[in-house]
This record gives sequence, structure tokens and C-alpha cells, in this order.
Amino acid sequence: MDVNKNEQRIFEGLELNYIPGDEDDLSMDGSPEKPNYFDLIVGQLEDILIDQRFQQLQQDFLNKYCHEFDDSEENKLSYTGIFEEYVCTIERTIEEKLKLTVPNFDMDWFLMELQKNKGSLDGEVFEMLYTLSDFVAFKSLVLDFKAEKEGRNPDFANAFTVVPLRL
Amino acid sequence: MGFQKILKKMKAKEKEMRILILGLDNAGKTTILKHLNHEDPTTISPTLGFNIKTIVYGDYKLNMWDVGGQKSLRSYWKNYFESTDGIVWVVDSVDTRRLDDCRRELHALIEEERLVGASVLVLANKVDLPGAASLEDIRERLELDNVTTHHWKIVRVSAMTGENVVPAVGWLVNDISQRLFTI
Repeated sequence: MDVNKNEQRIFEGLELNYIPGDEDDLSMDGSPEKPNYFDLIVGQLEDILIDQRFQQLQQDFLNKYCHEFDDSEENKLSYTGIFEEYVCTIERTIEEKLKLTVPNFDMDWFLMELQKNKGSLDGEVFEMLYTLSDFVAFKSLVLDFKAEKEGRNPDFANAFTVVPLRL
Repeated sequence: MGFQKILKKMKAKEKEMRILILGLDNAGKTTILKHLNHEDPTTISPTLGFNIKTIVYGDYKLNMWDVGGQKSLRSYWKNYFESTDGIVWVVDSVDTRRLDDCRRELHALIEEERLVGASVLVLANKVDLPGAASLEDIRERLELDNVTTHHWKIVRVSAMTGENVVPAVGWLVNDISQRLFTI
């Protein structure tokens, strides 16, 4: 492979948000008939997650339940039901949207591929998906949201002091 | 469906285990957890909800869930059964009057379909206190020898002094790992 071609591959890789060399792995993974299918879905998934309507759905959910959460070590039993509802709502939405945008979307196949290629998701997307599998990640998401809503996040405006300038 | 299962599978590769700490109220579940997490166990109030700690044990990451044991809370235990690899059943060795109650709750757990594969570690706790029942007594009163569907072990421990707690959990981790991570 000459240098130019290599550079081009790297550039394409960056644009599609996965590491160069993934293409080769994919074609070896036993899906030669649809080599770009996985990338297509990951792209769609990223689009869904950054879409304003999806973000709104998540915000609405957090808004509805964040008052129930406290920043204490012991968790209330009610958190578990809320977490389950969160997982159902978010997963259902993602699956429905993927079915709409990806022709012949096959969730099982995608999940298998996702497992094999977990490096192909960028940090933020993976972090979001993590709140679906890890209760502790979900709890901190809710608490961060609540802190922000109540304006408890650090406000650096107070760190400034305004003094008259004397000449 | 969906992501949750697959992300859990990814974690399985990272050698994680989910362990549920249960038992009657005042058995010492949270104290066990605190001891394992190197926290001060002297200032604990009754658990009304649940605690989660991730504890590193050798090559393994143990996700430990400690759920309150008061009678009114026990019906919530079932919400935490899913994907459980091991159960730590904590018994107050001094509270011999409630051992029948303790047996009933333990055997109800063992019959749970979602806990079929789980290894069971019974901790006869508070052995540092006077009046603690012997291991044989507790084993008999809990009818542990009738349990043939699960791997189980009973160990005398003191969560307060830490005696035996870590080696006992070592048995559990080892038993689970042989099932989960070999071949």
C-alpha cells in the first residue's frame, strides 16, 4: 500500500469515527455480503443519540424523576424501578428509530457486532449506553442532572472580584 | 432486547461478578460490605434501601449489592436477583431465636428460578460475641444439608473484627469463577 492511499484510509477512518483498519476486521468477521452495514448502524446510532428529540426524551425523564434521588451513599429501593423504566424507554426508542432509518435492521446481529467492535463507538456514545447497563452510571447521570437543575454546579462567577480601577 | 445484556456480556470478559448480600435485619450485611471495602464498620445504621460497592478481589471485580433485610423490605429482594452469580447469606449467630425465620427465607431464595446458578456462601456472623451458636448448630437449624441444587459453604466470621471474612469470600469467588470463566 503506498503512502497516499494509506493517508486516505486514515482520513476516511477519522471521518467515519472509527479507527483505521476496522474495515479489514469487519470483512473477516463473516459478513462479506454487507460490509458497511455495521458502520451504517453505528453512524445512525450516533445520530440518534445526539438528536435533539432524543436528548429531550432523556431530559424529560430525568426531570420527572431527579427529585426522588439524593446524593447519599445508600440508595432508595425506588431507584431500581426508575432505572428499569429508564432502560426500557431508552432502549425502545433506540430500537424503534434504528428500525426506521436502517433498511432490514437486525438488532441481534447489530448487538453481536457491537460486542466485537466496541472500540468503534466514541467515548460519549459509549458513556450514554453505559447508563443503560450500569446502575451506578445511571445514578450519577441523575445526580449530575439534578445538581445542574438546582444550580449547584460550581459557579465561577463568584471567584471574580470587581474593584474600581484607580489611575 | 438489548444493550443492557450485551454490555453485561462485555463486562463478563472483564471478569466481573454480581454478588447479592442478603439475610435478616441486623445480621451484619452492611458491616460485611464495609469490611470488604476497608471502611470503618462501627457507624452503621439499619439499611432501608440498598448499597452497592465494587470490590477488587484478585483478578476479579465484584459488584456487591447489599439490600436491607427488614421484614417489610424482603419482598423487594426479587428486584435484585437478575444476573446474580453468588449470594452471601449473612446470619446473626447470636440471634438463635430467629434461626427458623432465617431458614425459611434462605430456602425461599434457593428455590428462586433466577438464582438457580448462584453459589451460596453462608456467613455465621458475630462469632466474636458471647452466646454465638456453633457452626454445626447453624448448619443444622438452617437445614443446609438439604440444599443439593446449589454449591454452598458455611463459614464462621466476625464482620466487626474482620475474622475470616476475606477467605470466605475467596471461596465464593473461586466457586463462581470455575463456573463462569473456565473454557
